[in-house]
Amino acid sequence: MKKIDLHIHTVATVSDADFSFDLHTMKRYVTEAALDAIAITNHNVFDGNQFAEIEDALDVVVFPGIEVSLDCGHVLVISDKANLDVFKEQAEKVNAKITIAEDRISFDDFFDIFHNLKEYLVIPHYDKNPAIKGEDLERIKEYVPCGEVNSAKKFIRAIKGVTRLTPVLFSDVRISAELESLPTRQTFVDCGDLSLGALKECLRDKGKVALSKNNGNELFPIFDNGQQLSTGLNILLGERSSGKTFTLNKINANPSHGHVKYIKQFSLVQQEDAAYEREYSKKLKRDQSQFIEEYLAGFKNVLNDVMNVDLRVDEREVADYIRSLIESAEEVDRRDAFSNAALFGESEFPISDDIGLKELIDSIRHLIENGEYQAIIVKHIEIQSLKQLAVELIELLREKALERKKKDFVNVLVGNIREILGRHTSAVQVKDVDLYRVILNEKKVERFTEIVKHLQENATISEESIQGFRVVATKGPFAGAGGIKLASGVKTAFGESFKHYEHPYNYLLTLFANESLTQSEYYRLFVNITYRILNKDGYVVSGGERSEFRLLQEINDAQDYDMLLIDEPESSFDNMFLHSAVNQIIREISETMPVVVVTHNSTVGASVGADYLLYASKEIEGGKVAYKLFSGYPTDLSLHSPDGKTISNYEITLNSLEAGCDTYLDRRRKYEVIEDR
Amino acid sequence: MKLLKIDKNLGHYLGEQGGFTSIDKITKEDILRLVNLTLAEEVELDEYDEKAIKNPAHQILYKNISEKIANLKERRQEFTDASERLYLVEYEKYRDKPPLQGAEDEAAK
Repeated sequence: MKKIDLHIHTVATVSDADFSFDLHTMKRYVTEAALDAIAITNHNVFDGNQFAEIEDALDVVVFPGIEVSLDCGHVLVISDKANLDVFKEQAEKVNAKITIAEDRISFDDFFDIFHNLKEYLVIPHYDKNPAIKGEDLERIKEYVPCGEVNSAKKFIRAIKGVTRLTPVLFSDVRISAELESLPTRQTFVDCGDLSLGALKECLRDKGKVALSKNNGNELFPIFDNGQQLSTGLNILLGERSSGKTFTLNKINANPSHGHVKYIKQFSLVQQEDAAYEREYSKKLKRDQSQFIEEYLAGFKNVLNDVMNVDLRVDEREVADYIRSLIESAEEVDRRDAFSNAALFGESEFPISDDIGLKELIDSIRHLIENGEYQAIIVKHIEIQSLKQLAVELIELLREKALERKKKDFVNVLVGNIREILGRHTSAVQVKDVDLYRVILNEKKVERFTEIVKHLQENATISEESIQGFRVVATKGPFAGAGGIKLASGVKTAFGESFKHYEHPYNYLLTLFANESLTQSEYYRLFVNITYRILNKDGYVVSGGERSEFRLLQEINDAQDYDMLLIDEPESSFDNMFLHSAVNQIIREISETMPVVVVTHNSTVGASVGADYLLYASKEIEGGKVAYKLFSGYPTDLSLHSPDGKTISNYEITLNSLEAGCDTYLDRRRKYEVIEDR
Repeated sequence: MKLLKIDKNLGHYLGEQGGFTSIDKITKEDILRLVNLTLAEEVELDEYDEKAIKNPAHQILYKNISEKIANLKERRQEFTDASERLYLVEYEKYRDKPPLQGAEDEAAK
């Protein structure tokens, strides 16, 4: 297996934070990480002299490359050295187009510059920002053997996904003397010859890439000394103060491990009751508030629309119109040159918006651009037809937009002239009224009332289970002004408003009259949503159960992260809970991402079914404290440290989890005695 | 093409049938037609002159309409550009002609 890192920065460009390249660090990285090949890929620039200097100084294969900022994301273009002159020229063309960090290159320009793209190794940002996706990815797919990801979790996800590209994990490092620790993100490829052509072939095959040299994708490097972790579940054991928390902190502090979720020791322990109660209700309130916001998002739009409707103004306008119409008919004798002008009695062009058409175009655009379900979409509709449809609709939209603009122009002009003519005559001017709008507004209010009534019907709207706990949200009408006040979170009286609660539109008008309320928060005041956490018996959770629920929830939340670290989950939970709930949920989440659990507890440590075992020990070397890690599979007889030392697995496991061999045997004897009796 | 003219102390506009009509008869549909003509081709109009128009109602109508149309004439491109910019990126991207059906087969041979 060859170890490669094809994404390395050595020049501070407009797209980077400032740094100074250091050749010594470059050499150290290549040697200590035992790399076989690297590529120099700076943002939109290729420095030929620096490249020659780096290549001279290193004994490994060095490819010239560039990271191009496209409109739709970043892409690495890596060249063969034989092609260096052409590549240099093309890189200069890229460089000429990027003068500030915000500059981007269009696909057309990219293809113009790299017309011989087949000769390069092209690697887009794939599961890594700024990523190239969907339709854009399709455009370069024939040149792309693999896609770059930025964590072990995403690497595994791509390996497992049938339709996904081969993943590659690279450091994306800026090589400078200030680099604190050396990068740990590299990829192993099963490739005999490290030519660009051979690499391209290998990278097309998922079976030929791995996170580790000898253990496939089971292990991946975590520290620059070669220490590895399992991509599944890791248990970290060790005596008190042996560097376990230190290890977790070190993993957490390294940005190259992606987004790490770190559940610290005692963070969930129920400490002082009153403070905990406050914290718990605050969290519950936050969750509830977020839930309500999501649930009522659609209603919020309806409400915003209705808030712009004023039926009282509409009624007045219609009355004015009828009155002026009658008066003008009765006073024909007052007509003069001003009132005889056709524009004097002219109404405005009604103007409609094109929201429906815009939404339709957006929907079609989603169909065209969607990457995830592209295969299903093309089974039923040709993308080319969708594009033609989009083009036609856009043309129609432009036509309508221009038409609207013209009518706006005419309306303003007509309005001005009407007003001036009106000032010069004593004849009655017929007031303008948009009857279409008046009717539409009435319909809007009717619909709004129906929606609110429907929302106020009693029902359970969401029920989510986490290991025996249930989060239940229900809806119904407010029983009184007190409930509305609680939902508003504002100290103001709702007695008057509540009298109109049965008539949503009138109720809304009373809210307008209350100046202590914020309009954007009105949507919370129409329906009563309660959000409760129930235990397995259906009762609202008690003190101890709340901590359990929070731990499970925190672990569950980790889905969106790249790695999960948990420091001594046993700190405040009983063994039954750890065994029945925590172990299961940790096990499940470790199927999708690396998890490291620090524990002293045998229920967690010995029963969770770890994939990899680590043991932390503190040693004094030359008067200095050194934290050392030993690791291996749980069934290995001994664990090994990166510097080649070994330790007995049996001994450390019994010491850490059972307080030593004698204690364990003694305890077992005692259990047997009770069992016999 | 002339859209607005002053004749015999009165303002006139170009009617739908091609002849000139007294400006006090102008409706919003007529103005919209003049707007379309202004955006589509080179148009001319007599500049407003208070002394040349005696009728005060005609003064108000001619002054307002001629000034607006003259302004639109100046900003013709800007006026249509705004709508042309809608969904510009998508429009350009999707408008590309598909490769001819036979072309790829030819290349494969």
